[in-house]
Amino acid sequence: MAQQLVVDPKKCVSCRTCELVCSFKHNEEFNPRLSNVSVFHYEDAAITVPIMCLQCDEASCAAICPTGALRRNAQGVIEHDAKKCIVCKMCVSACPLGNISYSPAKRMIHKCDLCGGEAWCATYCPSGAITLVDPDEVPDKKQLAADRLKAAVEEVCA
Amino acid sequence: MTQANGWIGTILRVNLTDGSIKKEPLNMQDANDYVGARGLGTKYYCNEVDPKIDPLSPENKLIFMTGPLTGTAACSSGRYEVVSKAPLTGIIGAANSGGHFGPELKYAGYDGIIFEGKAARPVYLHIDDGQVELLDAGELWGQGVHETTEALEAKHGKVRVSCIGTPGERGMLFAAIMNDKNRAAGRGGMGAVMGSKNLKAIAVRGTGGVTVARPERFMREVAKARTMLKEHPVTGNGLGTFGTEILVNIVNEVGGLPLRNGRDGSYWDKADDTSGERLNETHLVKNQGCFGCSIACGRVTKIEGKGDLDGFGEGPEYEAGWSYGAACGVNDISSIVKANFICNEQGMDPITLGSTVACAMELFEMGAIPEEDIGFPLRFGDAEAMVKLTQMCADGEGFGQTIGLGSYRLAEKYGHPELSMSVKKQEMPAYDARAIQGIGLEYATSNRGGCHVRGYMISPEVLGIPVKLDPQVTEGKGALLKTFQDLTALCDSTGMCLFTTFGIGLPEIAGQYREAVGTDETDEEILLKGERIWNLEKRFNMEAGVEKDTLPPRLLREALPSGPAQGKVNELQTMLADYYEARNWTADGIPTAEKLAELSMTY
Amino acid sequence: MLVKFLATYRQIAGCKSCDVPAPADVLELMVALCNRWPAFDGLILNKDKTDKGDDVIILVNGRHIEHLGDVATPLTEQDYVVITPLVAGG
Repeated sequence: MAQQLVVDPKKCVSCRTCELVCSFKHNEEFNPRLSNVSVFHYEDAAITVPIMCLQCDEASCAAICPTGALRRNAQGVIEHDAKKCIVCKMCVSACPLGNISYSPAKRMIHKCDLCGGEAWCATYCPSGAITLVDPDEVPDKKQLAADRLKAAVEEVCA
Repeated sequence: MTQANGWIGTILRVNLTDGSIKKEPLNMQDANDYVGARGLGTKYYCNEVDPKIDPLSPENKLIFMTGPLTGTAACSSGRYEVVSKAPLTGIIGAANSGGHFGPELKYAGYDGIIFEGKAARPVYLHIDDGQVELLDAGELWGQGVHETTEALEAKHGKVRVSCIGTPGERGMLFAAIMNDKNRAAGRGGMGAVMGSKNLKAIAVRGTGGVTVARPERFMREVAKARTMLKEHPVTGNGLGTFGTEILVNIVNEVGGLPLRNGRDGSYWDKADDTSGERLNETHLVKNQGCFGCSIACGRVTKIEGKGDLDGFGEGPEYEAGWSYGAACGVNDISSIVKANFICNEQGMDPITLGSTVACAMELFEMGAIPEEDIGFPLRFGDAEAMVKLTQMCADGEGFGQTIGLGSYRLAEKYGHPELSMSVKKQEMPAYDARAIQGIGLEYATSNRGGCHVRGYMISPEVLGIPVKLDPQVTEGKGALLKTFQDLTALCDSTGMCLFTTFGIGLPEIAGQYREAVGTDETDEEILLKGERIWNLEKRFNMEAGVEKDTLPPRLLREALPSGPAQGKVNELQTMLADYYEARNWTADGIPTAEKLAELSMTY
Repeated sequence: MLVKFLATYRQIAGCKSCDVPAPADVLELMVALCNRWPAFDGLILNKDKTDKGDDVIILVNGRHIEHLGDVATPLTEQDYVVITPLVAGG
């Protein structure tokens, strides 16, 4: 079962370390434009959101790829094979989340591959805003809501 | 194209007089000898500019310089330096700033920019990778920092902006250069130099990258340093949680928080009202980091429900919190946050501004400044007058213009230059040198005048990092300060933030530098570059006509009236002798030929 | 005797300061504070309770205990103690 990146914008401090290490891991170059993670900062709201490929179960990028360059591997990660890729950029259009990128400088497609399971963005994230977890460990929102309700009930009854 | 050594290899030279823009190769010899950013910018400056020139004349140059680690994943390395002769002090001014501008400049393909001459009318520099152009800034002239930044973002898309506000346009002596809206190359008046050249802003967008010499080894060094920062209580949690303002209470408790222009000693029973703990409760929205920084000490703050004070921005940092707080005797934290917002929005150094207001308050209370000059009473503790005067200074209105001279020229104008709490005409920050001896030595010997970030002696004297020294004694301060100054010069010049040195030391700074640029120099050889930078700055200052290394008479003669250091003055002379000896300078503080030869200095 | 807390120690103690009977020395004071607020354990005292913790700053009348008598610094009712986790700024 694929591991999953979980993003918590509340914890993000807007430092873009994830962009740096991601671009370096895949290109040996520090270049945010080549990163598979993009950090969006909303100044007025003081909120920052890192965005990256979520390895969709129904992956439109892989479905639309005419050469089979995008395929799910044994770990459940949609991998990009540059050798098969003809850089038609159909996947860029197809991804509903915009998480496949085309680099005009390198004339190539790039997307998140979870660094073969190491997920540098999560490893180097200083604030814990990006974490790599097993799907079983993803915090269950229902459970969290129940926890909050329980706390409220306790307060009312106390 | 990038070089595989942390550098791009290209310097942009912009002549504002004739409008020419040239790309020239980076001087690699100087880059190796002077590291980058502060050191390399100063070396370029010294190579090209006569130390005697008027800082606000077209003959002056203004240099923006990154370091070899800027834009890499090295910890907290998103910084750049602005170097020029400083109009406030008349000596070398080097001010560095974080945010995102420095890395973006490198990604656009430039290690630095050298501005020469003066434009005939207001212009800004627009950089879009290889395309560089000077554009008309007529509509931006007269706008604040935030408005200018937003206008350039609206026009050019995803650009990073470094610019001045209206005080810089007018040549106000402590105008700052601001990037990413709220990050400041703050001290000495770099913004005034920029304004004197009719240069309003630089807007840059870059899509390239930075590569390093030994990628795998570099990332090992980065990972090690980042882990150390994460595990250290200050850099891992303390600074992010409370910001720099957390120092207020501890510095006050050791009796080192200068109160009311230092007139009333340095212990304040109301300090907690202006503390980091208090700021968190009242105004903090979120903490935020500069590019690539894991420390994230930045404060996003908001004032709500306070009428005219309401606003949204960043800060204050500890020094600004003090200059508008204890120095002015103001304990209303909302007014302190507001005054700092005004400084950010218009690009002014809050340390100098708050201290100058404090100086004016003392002069007013003793009757040296008549009320009609100011237009209203200006007593210590008057928060409303303080905010009003800050706004007047930003707008260049009335007595605000006199405040814009800085405390030295203001106090001199009213016949009491001794009441300016400045060294070499630049205001000292938030630590009383009577209670904390070594910081006094640091102020006196700093190459850019009164300053805390040229060898932060508070670290050993108050915090115990890396060793605990007694703040009230003089022994051992000279030699340690020398090492701190050299290490700081090195750290600044790599492009890293000085705050990393709370959690890491020379081995980690040198380690990241070594693998990025691909050198096999030892830690000691790399530290020697810091010493070389220090001596270069000193030599420039001597030729520019620097004043002697001393402190305001108040710190040398007026004993502290209360607090844990009651009865103390700063014992500067004792420490100076030790310091000059540690530097292998003459007893008068002049670098010896022997020392310069040891540093292989060609300057 | 007045004891002041700074930074995160205020959350642990739930107050900015408190009055306690003066113990013989700083070590005894730290032990007493840990007994009252167990969350201080391992922070202001080391594990063996023989010395102060690694990352605590303790001032007695505004002086670091390192320059007095370390944790053996004697205390009286008139003394005034400040305890803070290691913080920094600038």
